[in-house]
Amino acid sequence: MIDVALASLIEDMIEKAGADGVVEFWQRVGDNLASRMGKEAYLGWTSFNVAVREARTAFSIEGEVTPLTDMAITDVDGDVVGYLYAMRQCCYVPTIFRTRFAVGRMSPADQAVTDEYNENVHNIAVCNFCVFHERFREEIAKNISVAGNSLACFLLATRGWSGETKISSKNVAQVNINEDHMRALLRNYECVYALIMRGARIKGER
Amino acid sequence: MTTESRIPESNPFVEIATHLFLEDIATKVGIAGLNNYLVSLAKNLAASMPKEEYASWSEFLSALSTGQSILSTFEEVRPINEHCMTTFRSPFERGWREYAKRVGAFAPVHREVARYYNHKVRPTAVTSMHVVLHTFREAAAARVHVDRDGVRYEPVASAWVDGEVQLPEGPNLESLLKRAGISRTKLGMLMRNHSDVWLLEPA
Repeated sequence: MIDVALASLIEDMIEKAGADGVVEFWQRVGDNLASRMGKEAYLGWTSFNVAVREARTAFSIEGEVTPLTDMAITDVDGDVVGYLYAMRQCCYVPTIFRTRFAVGRMSPADQAVTDEYNENVHNIAVCNFCVFHERFREEIAKNISVAGNSLACFLLATRGWSGETKISSKNVAQVNINEDHMRALLRNYECVYALIMRGARIKGER
Repeated sequence: MTTESRIPESNPFVEIATHLFLEDIATKVGIAGLNNYLVSLAKNLAASMPKEEYASWSEFLSALSTGQSILSTFEEVRPINEHCMTTFRSPFERGWREYAKRVGAFAPVHREVARYYNHKVRPTAVTSMHVVLHTFREAAAARVHVDRDGVRYEPVASAWVDGEVQLPEGPNLESLLKRAGISRTKLGMLMRNHSDVWLLEPA
């Protein structure tokens, strides 16, 4: 029930600090949670991807994550420096349905925070939870190393519960993935992100 | 009762994030301020849910046990008799388990605010989540009418996932048990495998 009550907490915070204040607050919560999750190290991408599949990594706290091992990201030398990862269901969708059944409709505060984030930070959010979520992933990626290299996370595409989609042109270009590939993935997944080795020189980076 | 008629389960990650959200609030407003936040959010949640009316107490009990009442939206309620209700598992158990597994020990602020609530309001909270739960049930019960009467809620005992039980002492407990129609021994038996024992009666 605390997840359903969260919306009224956000409503209250908007009154006190504005939607921009809630965005900052959510991002700080993302930082705090990531800082409490500890560091992880993997010998290589194979062991990391197995750990993701077996829900052993910090990313697994979000729910079931699928490593898309057919979608490797390579650097200028042709070495694999990252992969795409996807979630079939957005973490927040069950809460949206629970709110629908318990209260009747989602609070407008959810949309206010989403709009604020999309307009002023990164146009990728489909719900207020994306604000926390993107920052959390970026921070935990820094604490995970694969073959001695820490990771960077790029949120690429999202699909909201009512079907609206968002693709981050900026991040898609950064990891050199075609937007059509993203659209294809969004038919089956609700949240797609890339994990790459920090500092890698991506092949064909735009 | 079919599974489809119950509210879907939340993703525990959202609950963990909410716990962190509350921890952050506590650093700014202190324990008393967090207590006020929790009380206010539980009241707001109940106020945002539709009111209910039932023709008889038995119809109300049936709605409670089949998950159709506002009071059984987030938890599975098992009536022991006409007025004594139990919750088998805390609605916060999954979130807490995931928190303990992925993040670590529960932040002390969750128990500190419960101690504040026990001192200021009523002695039945083990963690911050009980502040939400008791306040929500009280506000939700006030939205229910059975025949011409309102409904009043009182917590009898609460246990947290780690087994810690909180309940009133002395005459207060005896009075609650009498109104709930159970003995002290029966309460002990219920608390072995239930997260909460509570009382509903006509107001």
